[in-house]
Amino acid sequence: MSDQININVNGSEIRTDSDQLIIEACEDSGIHIPRFCWHKRMDPVGMCRMCLVEIETPRGKALVPSCTTKVSEDLVVDTESEVVKKAQEGVLEFLLINHPLDCPVCDKAGECPLQDQTMAYGPGESRFVEDKRHFEKPIPISEIILLDRERCILCARCTRFSDEISGDPLIEFIQRGNKTQVNTFPDEPFRSYFSGNTVQICPVGALTSTSYRFKARPWDLKKVSSTSNCSSMGCSVELNVSQNKMLRILGEDNEFTNQGWLSDKGRYNFEYLHSEKRILKPVLNNDSTNEISINESMELISNEISVDDNSNISFIVGHNSTNEEYYALNNFVENLNKVNNDQNMNVYLSDDYLYEGFFQNTDSLGKVQDLDSVDTIILWAQDIKDNLPTLYLRIRQAVKNGKKLVIFGHTNTAMKELADSYFGQEILSKNLEFNVEISKIPNFNELINDKNVLAIIGKSSPIQNTNPISNLINYLDKNSNLKILNCFSKGNTFGALQNIDLVKGLNEFINEFDSSKNNIVFTIGSNPVNSSIYSNQIKDKLINANFVVSLDLFKNETTELADIILPTTSFGEKEGTFTNLEMRTLKQNKILPTPGSVLNEWEYWSMMLNKIDIENNYESEFELNLQLCEEYLDKDNVPSFDNLNKPSNLDGVLNSKSINIEIENVEPGTLELLFVNRLYGDSSTQINSPSISMLGAERFIEMNNHTFIKHNLSTYTVNLVQGDSTLQVKIKINNHLPNELIIAPLNRRGFRDIDTTKPYELIEVKNLEELSVN
Amino acid sequence: MSWDNELLERAHKIIELYPQKRSALGPLLYLAQEKDGFISDDSIVEISNLVDITEVQVKSVSSFYSMYKEEQTGTYLLSVCKSISCEINDSRSVINSVKEFTGLENYETDQDKLFTFEEVECIGACGGAPAVQVNYETVEGLTPEKTIEMCEWLKNDKPEIIVADQLQNKFGGTKSFDWAIEDNTGSAYTVPGFQNIGTAKEKDN
Ligand code: SF4
Ligand code: FES
Ligand code: FES
Repeated sequence: MSDQININVNGSEIRTDSDQLIIEACEDSGIHIPRFCWHKRMDPVGMCRMCLVEIETPRGKALVPSCTTKVSEDLVVDTESEVVKKAQEGVLEFLLINHPLDCPVCDKAGECPLQDQTMAYGPGESRFVEDKRHFEKPIPISEIILLDRERCILCARCTRFSDEISGDPLIEFIQRGNKTQVNTFPDEPFRSYFSGNTVQICPVGALTSTSYRFKARPWDLKKVSSTSNCSSMGCSVELNVSQNKMLRILGEDNEFTNQGWLSDKGRYNFEYLHSEKRILKPVLNNDSTNEISINESMELISNEISVDDNSNISFIVGHNSTNEEYYALNNFVENLNKVNNDQNMNVYLSDDYLYEGFFQNTDSLGKVQDLDSVDTIILWAQDIKDNLPTLYLRIRQAVKNGKKLVIFGHTNTAMKELADSYFGQEILSKNLEFNVEISKIPNFNELINDKNVLAIIGKSSPIQNTNPISNLINYLDKNSNLKILNCFSKGNTFGALQNIDLVKGLNEFINEFDSSKNNIVFTIGSNPVNSSIYSNQIKDKLINANFVVSLDLFKNETTELADIILPTTSFGEKEGTFTNLEMRTLKQNKILPTPGSVLNEWEYWSMMLNKIDIENNYESEFELNLQLCEEYLDKDNVPSFDNLNKPSNLDGVLNSKSINIEIENVEPGTLELLFVNRLYGDSSTQINSPSISMLGAERFIEMNNHTFIKHNLSTYTVNLVQGDSTLQVKIKINNHLPNELIIAPLNRRGFRDIDTTKPYELIEVKNLEELSVN
Repeated sequence: MSWDNELLERAHKIIELYPQKRSALGPLLYLAQEKDGFISDDSIVEISNLVDITEVQVKSVSSFYSMYKEEQTGTYLLSVCKSISCEINDSRSVINSVKEFTGLENYETDQDKLFTFEEVECIGACGGAPAVQVNYETVEGLTPEKTIEMCEWLKNDKPEIIVADQLQNKFGGTKSFDWAIEDNTGSAYTVPGFQNIGTAKEKDN
């Protein structure tokens, strides 16, 4: 904590932190100073001069930019003097010299800081009679972002964001003086996972997104705060809806999680909500012409599950349900168990990265915010940039503020430059096992001994022995002051873990599936036939099962095998809670009407119970929420709807429940390929969102130069051949990878047919005929 | 790879001079200019790899400074000062004489890629105004006639290396002071001759 000092603003005394900027100190006391370039999450630059204020100095009064001047004891500030007003008018008059004033056709109009501040502080008229500077109007700078350089006021928010925050400076100021413009390098588009943030923070309409262009006027938008499903970070978002259509998602500044930023997937993965392909009625036997009523479907399902033979009922759940829905599912399983002892019921999470994790000691559970206070951050998990993109931004920020980062390979190569130590192939084998004793890892002990350490820990690859991870955690626990952030990356995984009594993994599903029994399988918002390393085996089991019910939004590889498909609600169409990876529970809100005869997942569970004459004790999300709140360890601060809706809790409530995961350790054998998940892939929601549907289309594998040479390759397009399957892929060279380890994206089309433990061949594509092979 | 080994070697030597790679950006851009007579996109890609910043960051710097040329220059870059001291000493007629001789307007290059003409701000030779630079080698105290003579000489003799002293002796007038370093070498293309980065060339004898 820094000292508190007094300053005087416009005649009144203000108490403020001594290391604040004038603009921040004023903001905190409710005095608004106009600004364009200053953004509280980025370093100040003093580009625009809109924030000029008058301060008293030993040499008399002076105009200074309040965004680059720190407060000092007894500083006297005037934000409204005649001189300040004149300065503001002058700045605005200059800014408008080259601004096209095409507000009637500009997306920003209505929420444009330039428009608003010109109204509030501007001169009212311009003396500029000369020609304005012209640029070609909007140029695409990536597949999803457009830039109108005429509107740009050169505040450098976008360029600073890409450099300082996201670390991929692909846009910059080009030229000088009157010709200055933001631009990309030719043939090097602004392909950043975070590019959408620049659209949100641009103070004019210079940066726009393809998905929102010309769709709505800000004053027509209905808005509600919610929580994103994009990753287990649980980013705070604002959903913008007009005429019952979701048109835009904006990041909200939640101090504890995303701090205003979103990944482009979190931001643009919503168009699927209004896709024509959504299932709107229950479907029988995957035959679109065979739509049935909800009542009929419930009838059919209850007939199956109430048969009193020793059947196996399996539930494979995905990551996009709310806590209330998971709780209702759990309640369904419990109730069914009660009436029927012969049936064997299991809930599996559709996630290859699941393992027991470290949940036993709730005191040692870390928080995202610990990143800013610990000495050392240890990272051994899936690719954070791809799977928890906003956590990646927080880690970047922490490293920038001097925290030490230690990465264990072979994922997260994208963060190698940030790390103080990156332990690659010398320390970890291809199979992600230690080559050396942990205590003998060079330069490791001094980074952790008696230090405050936050370990972000998870499996790097679906097929991985987790003992080395446990060994590392034991070692850290003994030698440092350790906090752990369990790194399961997908959606509401933690909500599922908290609200389902016993969660198993997909490998258990395969082990426990007994084809001699009557098998009933429910898949709930999950597509294990496409998204798992066990896809092929799961497919066989589902074909073999006696009855399969899929609850989903779209038809996909899994629903194809279902006897009944039940259409469900999605993000924005349901109310509930979401638990993020630090056990912070946040509210998800409903703003869209429910389409067709679609129901919430919990409604189906409740109706099924009714059909088999079991009384259920809830009738709404609200009641489910009250019930699930009873199990939280800290009774005084439960994440009930009421509590979460309080202004003081808008950032969520931290609270734990006991977590029970049962999963067998996966023996890796010899890994030939390492599967990872990339941010963009072929999920049904993404491919049904036109703006971003193509971003996950490219099929590529990564290897280092050594491996490239070792395979006798000379071109960068090859066929990956394994048994009968052939997949044409591009090769990207990544020299941070260990020798002879190849990385392949599991969530791209075609890769699920590849078995990571079996040998494969890479065959060069020599002629065009071969090129057309798919 | 558009840069040959020799150029790359020079680049690496320059990078070693600095604690951070990216600090070598300025001199490397001169190497690029020495190679092509302007900063080509290929060279930008090369430099971005050499100093670990993105291409657009290199472009941002190269397009900011007017001495990094974005377009192909001629063999001889004629930079005529138009700032105040030279203006007072009739730089206008020097400018006009160059325009007339070359037929070029500001920032233009002729078809044979022999001359590029530009009007520039003060080149630090006010004491000997009006002043001109040929490939960044300065001549002071010019008259329109001498200027044309100089252009003719460039056109006919096509000297490979331009050296300030030589220009001054042949065409110059009043000199401000003897500012050149002792073993002043010249420049061989439209890039200033810096000895520490190897763009300075030995005197043409
Ligand atoms: S494009 Fe927008 S954010 Fe970027 S510099 Fe221009 S006005 Fe600022
Ligand atoms: S906000 Fe201070 S100069 Fe732009
Ligand atoms: S004004 Fe021409 S050299 Fe200074």
